[in-house]
Amino acid sequence: MSAIEALYIFDEHNTPLLEHTYTGRPPPGSTVLPLYLSHPSPRPSLIYLPNTNPATLLYSIIQDQLLFLCPCSSDTEPLQVLEFLHRVADALEDFLGSPLLASRIESNYDVVAQLLSEMVDGGVISCTEPNALKDVVEAPSFMKNLLGGVGLPSTTPSSLTPGATPFSLGSGRSPRLGPSGNTQGTSPVPWRKANVRHTSNELYVDIVETLQVTLSPSGRPLSAIANGTIAFTAKVSGVPDLLLQLGCPGGISNSVSLPVFHPCVRLNRWKERPSELSFVPPDGRFVLAGYEVDLLGPAALDSFSTSTTAKSAPKLNIPATVSVQPSLGPTGSDFEVRLQLNPRFAGKSSSPLPSATGSSFPGRGGLGRGLGGHPQGTTAAPSIEEMVVHIPLPASVKNVMDLRVVRGAGDAGYAPGDRSIEWRISSREVGMLISNDRGGGIGATATLRGTVIGQDEDEGLEGGAVSLSSNTYDYDDDQTSSYQSPSEAPSKTKDEGSDARKVKQNKVLMPSCATVSFSVKGWLPSGIKVESLTVDQKRSKGLGAGITPYKGVKYVCVSRNGVESRC
Amino acid sequence: MHPSNFAHWSLSTARDLTLEAARDASNARKSSTRMLPSGQLKKLLDSRSERDVLEGLRRVVTMSYRQPPSQTLPFFSHVIKNIASPSLPIKKLVYIYLLQHAEHEPDTALLSINTIQKSLTDSNPQLRALALRVMSGIRVPVISQIVSLAIKRGVGDMSPYVRRAAALAIPKCYRLDPSTEPQLLEYLSTLLGDKQYFVTGAAVAAFLEVCPNRLDLIHPHYRSLIRKLVDMDEWGQLATLRLMMSYSRKCFPRRTKKIKKTTTNPNPNARSKGTKGFYDTESESEESEDQEMEDLVVLDPDLELLLKACQSLLQSRNSAVVIAVARTYLYLGTPDYLSLAIGPLISLLRSPGDVQHIALYNIVQVCLSHPEPFVKYYTHFLVRSTDSPHIWRLKLELLTLIFPHAPPRLQSLILAELSHFSHSGSLDPGLVKEAVRAIGRCSQTTNPKTSARCLRLLLAHIGSADMHLVAESLEVIRHLIQRDPENHRTTVVRLAKHLDAATSPQARASIVWLVGEFAGLDPENNIAADVLRILVKGFADEAEPAKLQIVLLAAKVYVHHLNANPPPEPVRAPSPKPSPSLLENYEEQGGFRDTHLDSVSPPQPTPSQTQDKPHPIEALWNYIILLTRYDTSYDLRDRARVYKALLSTPTSTQLASLLLLAPKPVPQTPSPSETRKGYALGSASLVIGDEGGVGGLKGYEDLPPWVKEGHEPDPALREEGASGAASTYEAAKSLSAAERLDAASRAAPPERTVSPGRSLDGLGSGSGAGEAKEKEKTLDEWLAEEEESEDETDEEKETEEEEESSEYETESEDEGEGDRLVK
Repeated sequence: MSAIEALYIFDEHNTPLLEHTYTGRPPPGSTVLPLYLSHPSPRPSLIYLPNTNPATLLYSIIQDQLLFLCPCSSDTEPLQVLEFLHRVADALEDFLGSPLLASRIESNYDVVAQLLSEMVDGGVISCTEPNALKDVVEAPSFMKNLLGGVGLPSTTPSSLTPGATPFSLGSGRSPRLGPSGNTQGTSPVPWRKANVRHTSNELYVDIVETLQVTLSPSGRPLSAIANGTIAFTAKVSGVPDLLLQLGCPGGISNSVSLPVFHPCVRLNRWKERPSELSFVPPDGRFVLAGYEVDLLGPAALDSFSTSTTAKSAPKLNIPATVSVQPSLGPTGSDFEVRLQLNPRFAGKSSSPLPSATGSSFPGRGGLGRGLGGHPQGTTAAPSIEEMVVHIPLPASVKNVMDLRVVRGAGDAGYAPGDRSIEWRISSREVGMLISNDRGGGIGATATLRGTVIGQDEDEGLEGGAVSLSSNTYDYDDDQTSSYQSPSEAPSKTKDEGSDARKVKQNKVLMPSCATVSFSVKGWLPSGIKVESLTVDQKRSKGLGAGITPYKGVKYVCVSRNGVESRC
Repeated sequence: MHPSNFAHWSLSTARDLTLEAARDASNARKSSTRMLPSGQLKKLLDSRSERDVLEGLRRVVTMSYRQPPSQTLPFFSHVIKNIASPSLPIKKLVYIYLLQHAEHEPDTALLSINTIQKSLTDSNPQLRALALRVMSGIRVPVISQIVSLAIKRGVGDMSPYVRRAAALAIPKCYRLDPSTEPQLLEYLSTLLGDKQYFVTGAAVAAFLEVCPNRLDLIHPHYRSLIRKLVDMDEWGQLATLRLMMSYSRKCFPRRTKKIKKTTTNPNPNARSKGTKGFYDTESESEESEDQEMEDLVVLDPDLELLLKACQSLLQSRNSAVVIAVARTYLYLGTPDYLSLAIGPLISLLRSPGDVQHIALYNIVQVCLSHPEPFVKYYTHFLVRSTDSPHIWRLKLELLTLIFPHAPPRLQSLILAELSHFSHSGSLDPGLVKEAVRAIGRCSQTTNPKTSARCLRLLLAHIGSADMHLVAESLEVIRHLIQRDPENHRTTVVRLAKHLDAATSPQARASIVWLVGEFAGLDPENNIAADVLRILVKGFADEAEPAKLQIVLLAAKVYVHHLNANPPPEPVRAPSPKPSPSLLENYEEQGGFRDTHLDSVSPPQPTPSQTQDKPHPIEALWNYIILLTRYDTSYDLRDRARVYKALLSTPTSTQLASLLLLAPKPVPQTPSPSETRKGYALGSASLVIGDEGGVGGLKGYEDLPPWVKEGHEPDPALREEGASGAASTYEAAKSLSAAERLDAASRAAPPERTVSPGRSLDGLGSGSGAGEAKEKEKTLDEWLAEEEESEDETDEEKETEEEEESSEYETESEDEGEGDRLVK
């Protein structure tokens, strides 16, 4: 029944870093790892190993190239274990610094050991809240190491005060609590550390939206979803009570759907007024909420098939789209990838005058009294960065010849045997492309062309070639013409001369889609904005009167192979 | 090189090697905690300086993670010595070491128990909780009674942290020594009634570990547990929802109002629609409710309380909680409740790939029984090129599951999507295959028009250059045709036309088989013979699989021919082909039967009879047999011989028709996840499927059936415990979590004295409790000796001074030794 029997961590070379057994006698990491690796990649997160003793369910996650394994001998709720593994990874990151490196774990085994033993008690998950953990486990700090090294008294309590227990570094908590009253060692709010003190009070809101767009071959969007995450960083003393107000052109309740909240958010308030998030934040960085926005709206399906012309397709305002034209050239072995950039996202990167860079928080638009500089993207002039186009290729493609950027800029890379072409365009090049093309008004385009070469030309000719006689469909009298597919109709490939066979053959080698990755700072596809962030002075405790924390907001739109165009 | 590589070398040199390995490792990784020679390390541990000890402990803990225990065991006594250190960091590290190594040196570990016990009375709640946790975690069975006693103290502690540690220690103690169960149950029932959501979550988890079937302990706390559900941490919520699953099934009978009179008609429809629930009784009631929009399921008010409390958990950031709520709604609630959970289930698809994968299995499971509410989330099921195989497989399945319930436009979108992946998705042959199968599944479930459309999609694939695609398409087409042969006559013809185009032997073979299978369908207007004629011409150039099927086709055509035009009399025995003399006898016998057949179906005058040369079909047959006789394949020759023998006598075709024209069973291709349908939502067995053994993995528990009306426990049992808690809760409702915590901790001491008595009432655990008390006395007394400084009142103190057990003697000895050591 116990959920967590053991935890194994391996580094990127699959060298064991850590084995922590909680309960029972799970098979050791040295037994489990080869069985895990013997599974063909990509490996599912839950693998059943019937040949170990006892038969084991093996859960795994990979974070920062570290492999976390957790064996279970009996049926458990899979998501419970996976969530736990994620929490472990998060907690380690929180304590040891991000990204989580093998060397960091190795040099802090004592902290890791304390964390792991706090998080699970006898196989039962007990405490995973990072703030609560900070109350009981001391995070490693350079300061302390330094003091310890020189021989100065560190924060380690002396033997004279047995009651004094400085759980959190630098927090001047009272060592002894009254015999009656409040005897709890930690904070009354389960997710917030006790007695938080900060010299500079800061609040940051980062809204990150990840695009997931699928475009049909005709360019019509089939689905366009923006997955939003509100990451919050609170560095405020005491127990602040915050109110975050969001705004959106169409109204929050209409655009935001399927929200997920950190337990600190007062759900009733959100239900009453679905644009206000009222909460007592944990200390430090945390994910306040997650949501999703359907960029097409509910009418998307109607427009999908009532109109066959692309004109009435829902307009999608995204920074870049891509389209692929396969089967070009006399033998149909060429393809063309066209990247279309939205002129709105030229940004300022091409302008010769860099803006003030005094702030240590680049890319943050100022809110409230704080105003940071914005060297990169801003809400006024968002710019596209890290533009990469991926073109996955079928396994049967042996090589790509003549790969060249016909128009525009960027580097297209492909090595024989690769499963995809990568076309990188730096942000400077993107800026130049857009500024050169500004006159056109429809945005800039860049084009990539290439020729695919299949496995074995000769063999393909004999075995694989097939041609359809053009009268194939005549027999069918019940065939109706109601079927409209946005994908290419099969009749398109009817024979046209002697090359038809080759075209047909090469069709198998054509890429079937292309994806674009990029990031845009200062712009969100959903248009969500932070209207205000206020500290409720009446309900907050411990925050000195008259102190208004510095507030910062950042909007980032990311696409990780998120804009996908089919052909 | 990693130090553990040396582990298997001889032990005598292990220490020296360790040093070498340590140097190696430190060079490789610049680790700050370089390993020291053991002598030096021991010196550090023995040092008077706190910093040195801490440093030494750090190194030992580091070692223990990187090396087998044999390397760190030599330090055991040196480490344990420090357990009495007043410094908390040192204590923590010693505890960690102790937990890891106690099992290897149980005797030495026992020495530390004494000191840990002292920490149980420390003024710092953190330390008390820590001590309790460590003590229960030492896996030395001898101390089970001491642990049990420590838990008892912990249960009465003022700090919720200690109480929670006590709750979590209960299963550990139980594992150590199951005979402590009666005492543990007593503590558990106290903890279940704790005012702190913080504590109850852990108590429920412990309950599930120790005695998941003692639901009688839950009754008095049921309502308070439900009220605390929202405030518990995620893991507590998970445990509580799991508990409530079986509790509700066993305590709330499924009541349905019998007002179906007017709605008997739609009910059968609902059932025949194929949306069968996991439990038949349940799905029936749910479906009928679906149909009539009337509340037919009467929910128990207490059950409703649970379902309502779950609602706010749907926004949890923990995916497991969302699934647990969906499970509660699916198996306990009504479809109305379930529809609330659909959106949150979909929102799990935003999470990282590993969570997404498991979530998809659960979504498919819900979708199998309730597909309608998923239709509007179709955009989430579109396959993306970046999806890994195990994800797109499930997404395709979801698309086919919602297909029958989708509006026409969405249906065409789904079909377009599937056909896109079937013909241009050569990125992954598996995807092509799966997409084609999905099209096949779509065509099964819907009206003839969509079915025809699916078929057209599939037929378009036959000419493709992609072998996988062609083979899979034909397979699916075959299934479609077999399911409904009457309506697919033209399809067979169309397929036959494709014979010119199809080059892959497998594809040709399956087309030929299909043609043969339907050769007798419409005797007047059948193409089989014609197809055979054309195929025979190129017989020599066919591949073996195709040849086999052509011979079979020839045999079938010939049988049909013979059945339709039987030779008029047995007298006309000398058939055109030479037959072995042995078979002549059979012919005679067969002739008798044939005449019988003749009387049934009047003989038709065949042109071949009148003419001299044989009928073309007969000629074809003979030609094929002749060809195969000289084929290079054994298999083909053998088969041909069998067919020849079967058909050697034109007048006796019964055996041949039995063998060749046997009706084939209609193939069923259910959704791939149908096989997992029996597993409960949210379980690992659901993900693994039948691979884990029939009936699920070890430890899998099926849902208990609904309790029968009249067999459920008295609802009044739930009344009792809740009354007190409710009033305080009402008062505390408006307070913040912080204030509530304060209030509860103030209220804790009085509660401690009251609750054990209360919880014992009517629970039937009287004998066990009495036994426990008797045992406690001796140990209590033992414990009391060193806990004089304790400020809390101990109830049992008065009843001390009973007989002394021999156990006491040995332990006091240990204690003394421990003291010496500590010093």
